[in-house]
Amino acid sequence: MFTAFEEIILSIMKMRNDIELEAIIEDYLKGKLTPEEHAAFEQLRNNDQIVDHKVVAHKVFLESMAQYANILQLKERMDAAHAQIDVETLASELRPHPSKLVKLWKNNRSAVAIAASFILLTMVSLYSIQSNNKQAGTFEAMSKDMARIKTTQNSLIRDIKSREANKNSNNNSNNRARFGGTGFAISGNGYIITNYHVVRGADSVYVQNNKGVSYKVTSFYNDPQNDIAILKINDESFHRLPNLPYAIKKGSSSIGEQVFTLGFPKDDVVLGDGYVSSKTGINGDTLAYQVAIPVNPGNSGGPLLDNNGNIVGIINGKENKTDGATFAVKSKYIMEALNAIPQDSLSRRVTYGKRSQLQGLKRNKQVDKIQDFVFMIKVYNNN
Amino acid sequence: MSIKLSSSVPTDREVVLGILNNSIEALNKLYAAYFPMVLQLILNNNGDEDDAKDVYQEAIIVLYNKVRSGNFELSSKLKTYLYSVSRRIWLKKLTQQRKKTNNIADFEDILVVEDDLEQHEQKDLQFDKMKIALESLGEPCKTIIEDFYIHNHSMQDICEKFGYTNADNAKTQKYKCLQRLKKLFFQS
Repeated sequence: MFTAFEEIILSIMKMRNDIELEAIIEDYLKGKLTPEEHAAFEQLRNNDQIVDHKVVAHKVFLESMAQYANILQLKERMDAAHAQIDVETLASELRPHPSKLVKLWKNNRSAVAIAASFILLTMVSLYSIQSNNKQAGTFEAMSKDMARIKTTQNSLIRDIKSREANKNSNNNSNNRARFGGTGFAISGNGYIITNYHVVRGADSVYVQNNKGVSYKVTSFYNDPQNDIAILKINDESFHRLPNLPYAIKKGSSSIGEQVFTLGFPKDDVVLGDGYVSSKTGINGDTLAYQVAIPVNPGNSGGPLLDNNGNIVGIINGKENKTDGATFAVKSKYIMEALNAIPQDSLSRRVTYGKRSQLQGLKRNKQVDKIQDFVFMIKVYNNN
Repeated sequence: MSIKLSSSVPTDREVVLGILNNSIEALNKLYAAYFPMVLQLILNNNGDEDDAKDVYQEAIIVLYNKVRSGNFELSSKLKTYLYSVSRRIWLKKLTQQRKKTNNIADFEDILVVEDDLEQHEQKDLQFDKMKIALESLGEPCKTIIEDFYIHNHSMQDICEKFGYTNADNAKTQKYKCLQRLKKLFFQS
Protein backbone atom coordinates (compact mmCIF):
# COMPACT_ATOMS: atom_id res chain seq x y z
CA MET A 1 0.00 0.00 0.00
CA PHE A 2 2.78 2.31 1.01
CA THR A 3 4.70 1.73 -2.16
CA ALA A 4 1.55 2.02 -4.25
CA PHE A 5 0.82 5.35 -2.66
CA GLU A 6 4.34 6.51 -3.26
CA GLU A 7 3.96 5.52 -6.87
CA ILE A 8 0.85 7.64 -7.18
CA ILE A 9 2.64 10.57 -5.66
CA LEU A 10 5.53 10.06 -8.05
CA SER A 11 3.14 9.92 -10.96
CA ILE A 12 1.51 13.09 -9.74
CA MET A 13 4.84 14.85 -9.62
CA LYS A 14 5.85 13.61 -13.01
CA MET A 15 2.65 13.78 -14.97
CA ARG A 16 0.62 16.23 -12.92
CA ASN A 17 -2.23 13.81 -12.57
CA ASP A 18 -4.63 16.38 -11.19
CA ILE A 19 -7.58 14.07 -10.64
CA GLU A 20 -5.60 11.77 -8.38
CA LEU A 21 -4.00 14.71 -6.62
CA GLU A 22 -7.40 16.23 -5.90
CA ALA A 23 -8.62 12.92 -4.48
CA ILE A 24 -5.57 12.62 -2.24
CA ILE A 25 -5.88 16.21 -1.03
CA GLU A 26 -9.46 15.53 -0.11
CA ASP A 27 -8.59 12.36 1.78
CA TYR A 28 -5.74 14.20 3.45
CA LEU A 29 -7.99 17.00 4.63
CA LYS A 30 -10.67 14.61 5.78
CA GLY A 31 -8.05 12.59 7.73
CA LYS A 32 -8.61 9.44 5.70
CA LEU A 33 -4.94 8.77 4.92
CA THR A 34 -2.90 6.22 6.89
CA PRO A 35 -0.10 7.71 9.03
CA GLU A 36 2.52 6.67 6.45
CA GLU A 37 0.56 8.18 3.58
CA HIS A 38 -0.03 11.29 5.65
CA ALA A 39 3.68 11.70 6.28
CA ALA A 40 4.54 11.10 2.64
CA PHE A 41 2.00 13.64 1.53
CA GLU A 42 3.21 16.25 4.02
CA GLN A 43 6.64 15.72 2.56
CA LEU A 44 5.27 16.40 -0.93
CA ARG A 45 3.39 19.43 0.36
CA ASN A 46 6.56 20.87 1.89
CA ASN A 47 8.52 20.35 -1.27
CA ASP A 48 5.96 21.56 -3.78
CA GLN A 49 4.55 25.06 -3.46
CA ILE A 50 1.84 24.40 -6.03
CA VAL A 51 0.55 21.36 -4.18
CA ASP A 52 0.62 23.28 -0.91
CA HIS A 53 -1.38 26.10 -2.46
CA LYS A 54 -3.94 23.62 -3.77
CA VAL A 55 -4.29 22.09 -0.30
CA VAL A 56 -4.93 25.48 1.29
CA ALA A 57 -7.45 26.47 -1.37
CA HIS A 58 -9.27 23.18 -1.08
CA LYS A 59 -9.39 23.52 2.68
CA VAL A 60 -11.03 26.95 2.42
CA PHE A 61 -13.42 25.55 -0.13
CA LEU A 62 -14.37 22.51 1.97
CA GLU A 63 -14.98 24.72 4.99
CA SER A 64 -17.22 27.05 3.01
CA MET A 65 -19.04 24.04 1.62
CA ALA A 66 -19.52 22.58 5.11
CA GLN A 67 -20.81 25.90 6.39
CA TYR A 68 -23.14 26.11 3.41
CA ALA A 69 -24.43 22.60 4.02
CA ASN A 70 -24.96 23.35 7.72
CA ILE A 71 -26.97 26.50 7.11
CA LEU A 72 -28.96 24.82 4.35
CA GLN A 73 -29.88 22.02 6.72
CA LEU A 74 -30.71 24.48 9.49
CA LYS A 75 -32.95 26.46 7.15
CA GLU A 76 -34.80 23.33 6.07
CA ARG A 77 -35.36 22.31 9.67
CA MET A 78 -36.50 25.79 10.63
CA ASP A 79 -38.98 25.83 7.76
CA ALA A 80 -40.35 22.53 9.07
CA ALA A 81 -40.60 24.00 12.56
CA HIS A 82 -42.22 27.12 11.15
CA ALA A 83 -44.89 25.03 9.43
CA GLN A 84 -45.93 23.72 12.85
CA ILE A 85 -46.79 27.18 14.13
CA ASP A 86 -50.17 28.72 13.55
CA VAL A 87 -48.79 32.09 12.52
CA GLU A 88 -52.12 33.66 11.67
CA THR A 89 -53.66 33.15 15.07
CA LEU A 90 -50.51 34.32 16.79
CA ALA A 91 -50.30 37.36 14.57
CA SER A 92 -53.87 38.38 15.25
CA GLU A 93 -53.11 38.21 18.98
CA LEU A 94 -49.88 40.14 18.78
CA ARG A 95 -50.74 42.72 16.16
CA PRO A 96 -51.20 46.25 17.48
CA HIS A 97 -54.95 46.14 17.91
CA PRO A 98 -57.34 48.97 17.14
CA SER A 99 -59.19 48.21 20.36
CA LYS A 100 -56.08 49.35 22.24
CA LEU A 101 -56.59 52.81 20.77
CA VAL A 102 -60.20 52.75 21.89
CA LYS A 103 -59.06 51.72 25.37
CA LEU A 104 -56.55 54.54 25.46
CA TRP A 105 -59.31 56.98 24.56
CA LYS A 106 -61.65 55.65 27.22
CA ASN A 107 -58.98 55.78 29.94
CA ASN A 108 -57.81 59.26 29.07
CA ARG A 109 -61.04 60.85 27.98
CA SER A 110 -60.88 63.70 30.50
CA ALA A 111 -57.26 64.53 29.63
CA VAL A 112 -58.04 64.56 25.93
CA ALA A 113 -61.08 66.79 26.55
CA ILE A 114 -58.96 69.30 28.47
CA ALA A 115 -56.33 69.30 25.74
CA ALA A 116 -59.00 69.81 23.09
CA SER A 117 -60.55 72.75 24.89
CA PHE A 118 -57.10 74.32 25.24
CA ILE A 119 -56.56 74.06 21.53
CA LEU A 120 -59.97 75.57 20.89
CA LEU A 121 -59.23 78.47 23.26
CA THR A 122 -55.87 79.08 21.61
CA MET A 123 -57.40 79.11 18.18
CA VAL A 124 -60.12 81.53 19.20
CA SER A 125 -57.62 83.94 20.73
CA LEU A 126 -55.27 83.65 17.77
CA TYR A 127 -58.15 84.35 15.43
CA SER A 128 -59.13 87.48 17.36
CA ILE A 129 -55.52 88.71 17.31
CA GLN A 130 -55.34 88.10 13.59
CA SER A 131 -58.60 89.86 12.83
CA ASN A 132 -57.30 92.91 14.71
CA ASN A 133 -54.28 92.98 12.46
CA LYS A 134 -54.49 94.66 9.10
CA GLN A 135 -51.88 92.41 7.53
CA ALA A 136 -54.00 89.34 8.05
CA GLY A 137 -55.72 89.91 4.74
CA THR A 138 -52.53 89.86 2.69
CA PHE A 139 -51.30 86.81 4.55
CA GLU A 140 -54.41 84.88 3.64
CA ALA A 141 -54.09 85.93 0.07
CA MET A 142 -50.51 84.76 0.06
CA SER A 143 -51.39 81.36 1.36
CA LYS A 144 -53.98 80.94 -1.34
CA ASP A 145 -51.34 81.81 -3.83
CA MET A 146 -49.09 79.22 -2.30
CA ALA A 147 -51.77 76.60 -2.69
CA ARG A 148 -52.09 77.42 -6.33
CA ILE A 149 -48.36 77.56 -6.79
CA LYS A 150 -48.05 74.09 -5.38
CA THR A 151 -50.25 72.70 -8.06
CA THR A 152 -48.43 74.55 -10.79
CA GLN A 153 -44.86 73.74 -9.98
CA ASN A 154 -43.20 72.76 -13.19
CA SER A 155 -40.88 69.88 -13.62
CA LEU A 156 -38.19 71.17 -15.84
CA ILE A 157 -38.28 68.39 -18.38
CA ARG A 158 -37.64 69.46 -21.87
CA ASP A 159 -40.13 68.16 -24.35
CA ILE A 160 -37.72 67.80 -27.21
CA LYS A 161 -40.13 65.89 -29.32
CA SER A 162 -42.73 68.57 -29.48
CA ARG A 163 -40.16 71.10 -30.65
CA GLU A 164 -38.23 69.01 -33.06
CA ALA A 165 -41.22 67.29 -34.50
CA ASN A 166 -42.29 70.66 -35.81
CA LYS A 167 -38.93 71.26 -37.42
CA ASN A 168 -38.39 67.87 -38.96
CA SER A 169 -41.76 66.32 -39.31
CA ASN A 170 -40.35 63.80 -41.76
CA ASN A 171 -38.08 62.17 -39.20
CA ASN A 172 -39.05 58.97 -37.54
CA SER A 173 -40.13 60.21 -34.16
CA ASN A 174 -39.29 56.91 -32.45
CA ASN A 175 -35.61 57.62 -32.87
CA ARG A 176 -35.79 60.93 -31.11
CA ALA A 177 -35.49 61.59 -27.45
CA ARG A 178 -38.80 62.50 -25.96
CA PHE A 179 -37.53 64.26 -22.90
CA GLY A 180 -34.27 65.66 -21.82
CA GLY A 181 -32.68 66.58 -18.55
CA THR A 182 -29.29 66.96 -17.02
CA GLY A 183 -27.24 64.67 -14.78
CA PHE A 184 -23.74 64.55 -13.38
CA ALA A 185 -21.21 61.87 -12.50
CA ILE A 186 -20.92 60.70 -8.91
CA SER A 187 -18.15 58.19 -9.48
CA GLY A 188 -15.40 57.52 -11.97
CA ASN A 189 -16.94 54.30 -13.20
CA GLY A 190 -20.07 55.67 -14.78
CA TYR A 191 -22.69 56.33 -12.14
CA ILE A 192 -24.78 59.38 -12.96
CA ILE A 193 -27.22 61.14 -10.65
CA THR A 194 -30.25 63.02 -11.89
CA ASN A 195 -33.86 63.72 -10.93
CA TYR A 196 -36.28 60.87 -10.59
CA HIS A 197 -38.95 62.79 -12.54
CA VAL A 198 -36.60 63.01 -15.54
CA VAL A 199 -36.35 59.25 -15.97
CA ARG A 200 -39.72 58.23 -14.54
CA GLY A 201 -41.57 55.83 -16.80
CA ALA A 202 -38.77 55.79 -19.36
CA ASP A 203 -38.43 52.94 -21.82
CA SER A 204 -34.78 53.64 -22.42
CA VAL A 205 -32.39 56.32 -21.26
CA TYR A 206 -29.18 57.58 -22.83
CA VAL A 207 -26.72 60.11 -21.55
CA GLN A 208 -24.69 62.36 -23.79
CA ASN A 209 -21.48 64.09 -22.75
CA ASN A 210 -20.38 67.54 -23.87
CA LYS A 211 -18.51 66.06 -26.83
CA GLY A 212 -21.77 64.67 -28.18
CA VAL A 213 -21.08 60.99 -27.45
CA SER A 214 -24.11 59.03 -26.20
CA TYR A 215 -24.03 56.09 -23.83
CA LYS A 216 -26.83 53.75 -22.90
CA VAL A 217 -27.64 53.78 -19.20
CA THR A 218 -29.75 51.63 -16.93
CA SER A 219 -31.65 52.78 -13.89
CA PHE A 220 -29.71 51.76 -10.80
CA TYR A 221 -31.48 53.39 -7.87
CA ASN A 222 -34.64 55.48 -7.51
CA ASP A 223 -35.75 57.67 -4.66
CA PRO A 224 -39.06 59.24 -5.73
CA GLN A 225 -39.52 60.96 -2.36
CA ASN A 226 -36.40 63.08 -2.72
CA ASP A 227 -36.69 63.14 -6.52
CA ILE A 228 -33.31 61.46 -7.00
CA ALA A 229 -32.37 58.72 -9.46
CA ILE A 230 -29.00 57.10 -10.03
CA LEU A 231 -28.17 55.73 -13.47
CA LYS A 232 -25.33 53.47 -14.51
CA ILE A 233 -23.58 53.71 -17.87
CA ASN A 234 -23.60 50.26 -19.45
CA ASP A 235 -21.54 50.82 -22.52
CA GLU A 236 -18.30 49.22 -23.51
CA SER A 237 -17.16 52.35 -25.29
CA PHE A 238 -17.36 54.30 -22.04
CA HIS A 239 -13.96 54.99 -20.49
CA ARG A 240 -13.51 55.70 -16.85
CA LEU A 241 -13.66 59.35 -15.92
CA PRO A 242 -10.70 61.01 -14.24
CA ASN A 243 -11.05 62.08 -10.62
CA LEU A 244 -14.17 64.11 -10.00
CA PRO A 245 -13.26 67.78 -9.55
CA TYR A 246 -16.18 68.59 -7.26
CA ALA A 247 -17.09 67.47 -3.76
CA ILE A 248 -20.45 67.22 -2.07
CA LYS A 249 -21.01 69.95 0.47
CA LYS A 250 -21.43 68.92 4.06
CA GLY A 251 -23.93 71.06 5.96
CA SER A 252 -26.40 73.45 4.43
CA SER A 253 -25.90 76.63 2.46
CA SER A 254 -26.93 79.98 3.80
CA ILE A 255 -29.17 82.51 2.14
CA GLY A 256 -27.25 84.79 -0.18
CA GLU A 257 -24.56 82.25 -1.05
CA GLN A 258 -23.42 82.50 -4.67
CA VAL A 259 -24.28 79.36 -6.63
CA PHE A 260 -24.21 78.25 -10.25
CA THR A 261 -25.49 75.35 -12.30
CA LEU A 262 -24.69 73.66 -15.58
CA GLY A 263 -27.49 72.17 -17.61
CA PHE A 264 -28.74 71.16 -21.04
CA PRO A 265 -31.81 73.25 -21.87
CA LYS A 266 -30.42 73.11 -25.42
CA ASP A 267 -27.95 70.74 -27.03
CA ASP A 268 -24.94 72.57 -25.61
CA VAL A 269 -24.19 73.04 -21.97
CA VAL A 270 -25.52 76.27 -20.44
CA LEU A 271 -24.30 78.03 -17.31
CA GLY A 272 -26.81 79.54 -14.90
CA ASP A 273 -25.67 81.87 -12.15
CA GLY A 274 -27.41 83.13 -9.01
CA TYR A 275 -27.74 82.86 -5.25
CA VAL A 276 -29.56 80.84 -2.63
CA SER A 277 -32.71 82.82 -1.94
CA SER A 278 -34.41 80.61 0.65
CA LYS A 279 -33.54 77.60 2.73
CA THR A 280 -36.84 75.96 1.93
CA GLY A 281 -38.48 74.98 -1.31
CA ILE A 282 -42.04 75.36 -2.44
CA ASN A 283 -44.55 75.59 0.41
CA GLY A 284 -41.80 75.46 3.01
CA ASP A 285 -40.47 72.12 1.73
CA THR A 286 -37.36 71.52 3.85
CA LEU A 287 -35.92 68.99 1.39
CA ALA A 288 -35.10 71.75 -1.08
CA TYR A 289 -33.49 75.16 -1.47
CA GLN A 290 -34.97 78.00 -3.41
CA VAL A 291 -32.37 79.59 -5.64
CA ALA A 292 -32.51 82.66 -7.83
CA ILE A 293 -31.21 81.22 -11.09
CA PRO A 294 -33.13 81.47 -14.35
CA VAL A 295 -33.60 77.91 -15.57
CA ASN A 296 -35.39 76.37 -18.48
CA PRO A 297 -36.84 72.97 -19.25
CA GLY A 298 -33.86 70.61 -19.51
CA ASN A 299 -32.07 71.97 -16.44
CA SER A 300 -33.66 69.33 -14.20
CA GLY A 301 -31.03 67.11 -12.61
CA GLY A 302 -28.20 69.58 -13.06
CA PRO A 303 -25.66 70.10 -10.28
CA LEU A 304 -25.92 73.23 -8.14
CA LEU A 305 -22.45 74.29 -7.03
CA ASP A 306 -21.15 77.02 -4.75
CA ASN A 307 -18.14 79.25 -5.46
CA ASN A 308 -15.75 76.68 -4.02
CA GLY A 309 -16.96 73.93 -6.34
CA ASN A 310 -18.95 72.03 -3.74
CA ILE A 311 -22.22 70.51 -4.84
CA VAL A 312 -24.99 71.98 -2.71
CA GLY A 313 -27.95 70.47 -4.54
CA ILE A 314 -29.64 69.19 -7.68
CA ILE A 315 -31.90 71.48 -9.69
CA ASN A 316 -35.33 69.86 -9.79
CA GLY A 317 -37.98 72.37 -10.66
CA LYS A 318 -39.19 75.94 -10.73
CA GLU A 319 -42.27 77.84 -9.88
CA ASN A 320 -43.99 78.86 -13.06
CA LYS A 321 -45.77 81.94 -11.77
CA THR A 322 -42.67 83.72 -10.53
CA ASP A 323 -39.45 84.38 -12.37
CA GLY A 324 -36.21 83.24 -10.84
CA ALA A 325 -37.67 80.93 -8.21
CA THR A 326 -35.92 77.66 -8.88
CA PHE A 327 -35.79 74.72 -6.52
CA ALA A 328 -32.96 72.33 -5.79
CA VAL A 329 -32.80 69.13 -3.74
CA LYS A 330 -30.34 69.60 -0.88
CA SER A 331 -26.95 67.87 -0.99
CA LYS A 332 -27.74 65.96 2.21
CA TYR A 333 -30.23 63.85 0.23
CA ILE A 334 -27.67 63.16 -2.48
CA MET A 335 -25.48 61.69 0.25
CA GLU A 336 -28.39 59.65 1.56
CA ALA A 337 -28.92 58.24 -1.91
CA LEU A 338 -25.21 57.49 -2.26
CA ASN A 339 -25.16 55.76 1.09
CA ALA A 340 -28.15 53.66 0.15
CA ILE A 341 -26.39 51.94 -2.73
CA PRO A 342 -23.65 49.31 -2.37
CA GLN A 343 -20.41 51.13 -1.72
CA ASP A 344 -18.10 48.79 -3.57
CA SER A 345 -19.90 49.42 -6.85
CA LEU A 346 -18.74 53.03 -6.83
CA SER A 347 -15.08 53.40 -7.58
CA ARG A 348 -13.49 56.84 -7.31
CA ARG A 349 -16.73 58.17 -5.93
CA VAL A 350 -17.40 61.82 -5.29
CA THR A 351 -15.96 63.00 -1.98
CA TYR A 352 -18.04 64.35 0.86
CA GLY A 353 -17.17 67.38 2.94
CA LYS A 354 -13.63 67.59 1.52
CA ARG A 355 -11.91 70.43 -0.28
CA SER A 356 -12.80 70.34 -3.96
CA GLN A 357 -10.25 70.82 -6.74
CA LEU A 358 -12.22 73.83 -7.94
CA GLN A 359 -11.61 75.98 -4.90
CA GLY A 360 -10.09 79.35 -5.72
CA LEU A 361 -10.49 79.01 -9.48
CA LYS A 362 -12.27 81.55 -11.63
CA ARG A 363 -15.74 80.65 -12.82
CA ASN A 364 -14.69 79.93 -16.44
CA LYS A 365 -11.96 77.55 -15.28
CA GLN A 366 -14.40 75.86 -12.95
CA VAL A 367 -16.88 75.33 -15.76
CA ASP A 368 -14.07 74.03 -17.98
CA LYS A 369 -13.26 71.40 -15.42
CA ILE A 370 -16.80 70.42 -14.59
CA GLN A 371 -18.35 70.16 -18.01
CA ASP A 372 -16.79 66.79 -18.78
CA PHE A 373 -18.74 65.39 -15.84
CA VAL A 374 -22.14 66.84 -16.66
CA PHE A 375 -24.32 64.84 -19.02
CA MET A 376 -27.45 65.42 -21.02
CA ILE A 377 -30.06 62.82 -20.14
CA LYS A 378 -32.12 61.67 -23.11
CA VAL A 379 -35.25 59.75 -22.30
CA TYR A 380 -37.01 57.68 -24.92
CA ASN A 381 -40.56 56.70 -24.41
CA ASN A 382 -42.55 54.77 -26.94
CA ASN A 383 -45.93 55.49 -25.44
CA MET B 1 -52.02 25.50 18.10
CA SER B 2 -51.38 28.42 20.37
CA ILE B 3 -48.05 28.53 22.12
CA LYS B 4 -47.80 29.92 25.61
CA LEU B 5 -44.41 31.45 26.22
CA SER B 6 -44.06 30.05 29.71
CA SER B 7 -45.04 26.41 29.26
CA SER B 8 -42.98 25.08 26.38
CA VAL B 9 -39.77 27.09 26.78
CA PRO B 10 -36.66 24.90 26.93
CA THR B 11 -33.91 25.92 29.34
CA ASP B 12 -30.96 27.79 27.86
CA ARG B 13 -28.61 24.91 28.68
CA GLU B 14 -30.87 22.48 26.85
CA VAL B 15 -30.81 24.68 23.77
CA VAL B 16 -27.03 25.13 23.74
CA LEU B 17 -26.47 21.37 24.15
CA GLY B 18 -29.09 20.73 21.47
CA ILE B 19 -27.29 23.04 19.06
CA LEU B 20 -23.96 21.35 19.71
CA ASN B 21 -25.55 17.91 19.19
CA ASN B 22 -27.38 19.13 16.08
CA SER B 23 -30.66 17.96 17.62
CA ILE B 24 -33.83 18.50 15.59
CA GLU B 25 -36.03 18.32 18.68
CA ALA B 26 -34.10 21.08 20.44
CA LEU B 27 -34.38 23.28 17.34
CA ASN B 28 -38.13 22.71 17.15
CA LYS B 29 -38.54 23.66 20.79
CA LEU B 30 -36.32 26.69 20.49
CA TYR B 31 -38.08 27.81 17.33
CA ALA B 32 -41.55 27.55 18.81
CA ALA B 33 -40.51 29.13 22.10
CA TYR B 34 -39.34 32.54 20.89
CA PHE B 35 -41.08 33.01 17.56
CA PRO B 36 -44.05 34.86 19.12
CA MET B 37 -41.63 37.31 20.71
CA VAL B 38 -40.04 38.20 17.37
CA LEU B 39 -43.40 38.18 15.60
CA GLN B 40 -44.66 40.74 18.10
CA LEU B 41 -41.59 42.91 17.58
CA ILE B 42 -41.92 42.91 13.80
CA LEU B 43 -45.70 43.29 13.63
CA ASN B 44 -45.53 46.32 15.90
CA ASN B 45 -42.77 47.91 13.85
CA ASN B 46 -44.00 48.12 10.28
CA GLY B 47 -43.43 44.47 9.37
CA ASP B 48 -45.57 41.46 8.44
CA GLU B 49 -45.50 37.73 9.19
CA ASP B 50 -43.04 36.94 6.39
CA ASP B 51 -40.62 39.59 7.61
CA ALA B 52 -40.86 38.03 11.07
CA LYS B 53 -40.04 34.59 9.68
CA ASP B 54 -37.00 35.88 7.77
CA VAL B 55 -35.65 37.92 10.64
CA TYR B 56 -36.19 35.17 13.20
CA GLN B 57 -34.51 32.50 11.06
CA GLU B 58 -31.56 34.76 10.47
CA ALA B 59 -31.26 35.40 14.19
CA ILE B 60 -31.27 31.66 14.90
CA ILE B 61 -28.53 31.16 12.30
CA VAL B 62 -26.49 33.82 14.11
CA LEU B 63 -27.04 31.98 17.39
CA TYR B 64 -26.08 28.62 15.87
CA ASN B 65 -22.90 29.99 14.35
CA LYS B 66 -21.95 31.60 17.62
CA VAL B 67 -22.56 28.48 19.69
CA ARG B 68 -20.80 26.22 17.19
CA SER B 69 -17.78 28.50 16.96
CA GLY B 70 -17.33 27.82 20.67
CA ASN B 71 -17.17 31.35 22.00
CA PHE B 72 -20.68 31.49 23.34
CA GLU B 73 -20.99 32.25 27.02
CA LEU B 74 -24.34 32.28 28.71
CA SER B 75 -23.79 35.76 30.06
CA SER B 76 -27.37 36.70 29.27
CA LYS B 77 -30.62 34.96 28.72
CA LEU B 78 -30.92 33.31 25.31
CA LYS B 79 -34.23 35.07 24.91
CA THR B 80 -32.59 38.47 25.36
CA TYR B 81 -29.84 37.52 22.92
CA LEU B 82 -32.27 36.37 20.21
CA TYR B 83 -34.39 39.45 20.75
CA SER B 84 -31.43 41.80 20.44
CA VAL B 85 -30.15 40.10 17.29
CA SER B 86 -33.61 40.12 15.68
CA ARG B 87 -34.10 43.75 16.59
CA ARG B 88 -30.75 44.73 15.07
CA ILE B 89 -31.49 42.78 11.85
CA TRP B 90 -34.91 44.35 11.55
CA LEU B 91 -33.58 47.86 12.15
CA LYS B 92 -31.08 47.27 9.38
CA LYS B 93 -33.77 46.04 7.00
CA LEU B 94 -35.94 49.04 7.83
CA THR B 95 -33.08 51.40 7.06
CA GLN B 96 -32.50 49.64 3.76
CA GLN B 97 -36.16 50.07 2.91
CA ARG B 98 -35.86 53.71 4.00
CA LYS B 99 -38.71 53.42 6.46
CA LYS B 100 -38.91 55.38 9.65
CA THR B 101 -36.68 53.83 12.30
CA ASN B 102 -36.27 56.38 15.05
CA ASN B 103 -38.92 55.08 17.39
CA ILE B 104 -38.92 51.29 17.36
CA ALA B 105 -41.36 49.85 19.87
CA ASP B 106 -39.47 47.54 22.23
CA PHE B 107 -40.75 44.61 24.21
CA GLU B 108 -37.59 43.22 25.83
CA ASP B 109 -34.18 44.25 27.13
CA ILE B 110 -31.47 44.76 24.55
CA LEU B 111 -27.85 43.60 24.34
CA VAL B 112 -25.12 45.00 22.12
CA VAL B 113 -24.73 42.47 19.31
CA GLU B 114 -23.05 44.48 16.54
CA ASP B 115 -19.91 42.30 16.48
CA ASP B 116 -21.85 39.08 16.11
CA LEU B 117 -23.87 40.54 13.30
CA GLU B 118 -20.81 41.74 11.47
CA GLN B 119 -19.41 38.22 11.58
CA HIS B 120 -22.74 36.90 10.46
CA GLU B 121 -22.78 39.20 7.47
CA GLN B 122 -19.40 37.87 6.41
CA LYS B 123 -20.69 34.32 6.63
CA ASP B 124 -23.89 35.23 4.89
CA LEU B 125 -21.84 36.61 2.02
CA GLN B 126 -19.97 33.30 1.78
CA PHE B 127 -23.27 31.45 1.83
CA ASP B 128 -24.65 33.54 -1.00
CA LYS B 129 -21.44 33.13 -2.97
CA MET B 130 -21.65 29.36 -2.69
CA LYS B 131 -25.34 29.41 -3.55
CA ILE B 132 -24.76 31.48 -6.67
CA ALA B 133 -21.76 29.37 -7.67
CA LEU B 134 -23.80 26.18 -7.32
CA GLU B 135 -26.72 27.62 -9.23
CA SER B 136 -24.59 28.77 -12.12
CA LEU B 137 -22.89 25.37 -12.25
CA GLY B 138 -25.81 23.71 -14.04
CA GLU B 139 -26.82 20.05 -14.20
CA PRO B 140 -25.69 17.35 -13.67
CA CYS B 141 -22.75 18.99 -11.90
CA LYS B 142 -24.92 20.71 -9.29
CA THR B 143 -26.56 17.46 -8.20
CA ILE B 144 -23.31 15.50 -8.22
CA ILE B 145 -21.58 18.06 -6.03
CA GLU B 146 -24.59 18.42 -3.70
CA ASP B 147 -24.91 14.66 -3.37
CA PHE B 148 -21.26 14.27 -2.54
CA TYR B 149 -20.56 17.27 -0.31
CA ILE B 150 -23.94 18.11 1.21
CA HIS B 151 -25.81 14.83 1.39
CA ASN B 152 -22.59 12.85 1.91
CA HIS B 153 -23.39 10.17 -0.65
CA SER B 154 -20.51 7.88 -1.65
CA MET B 155 -18.95 7.97 -5.11
CA GLN B 156 -20.43 4.49 -5.65
CA ASP B 157 -24.00 5.79 -5.07
CA ILE B 158 -23.41 8.72 -7.40
CA CYS B 159 -21.99 6.38 -10.02
CA GLU B 160 -25.16 4.28 -9.92
CA LYS B 161 -27.56 7.22 -9.72
CA PHE B 162 -26.17 8.88 -12.81
CA GLY B 163 -25.56 5.62 -14.67
CA TYR B 164 -21.82 5.99 -15.13
CA THR B 165 -20.29 2.82 -16.49
CA ASN B 166 -17.43 2.79 -14.04
CA ALA B 167 -16.28 4.59 -10.94
CA ASP B 168 -13.44 6.27 -12.79
CA ASN B 169 -15.84 8.05 -15.13
CA ALA B 170 -17.85 9.32 -12.17
CA LYS B 171 -14.66 10.42 -10.47
CA THR B 172 -13.50 12.32 -13.55
CA GLN B 173 -16.90 13.94 -13.92
CA LYS B 174 -16.94 14.98 -10.28
CA TYR B 175 -13.43 16.36 -10.60
CA LYS B 176 -14.40 18.47 -13.59
CA CYS B 177 -17.50 19.76 -11.82
CA LEU B 178 -15.49 20.57 -8.73
CA GLN B 179 -12.89 22.51 -10.69
CA ARG B 180 -15.60 24.60 -12.29
CA LEU B 181 -17.37 25.19 -9.00
CA LYS B 182 -14.14 26.24 -7.29
CA LYS B 183 -13.41 28.62 -10.12
CA LEU B 184 -16.90 30.14 -9.83
CA PHE B 185 -16.68 30.32 -6.05
CA PHE B 186 -13.24 31.86 -5.76
CA GLN B 187 -13.72 34.30 -8.60
CA SER B 188 -17.02 35.73 -7.49
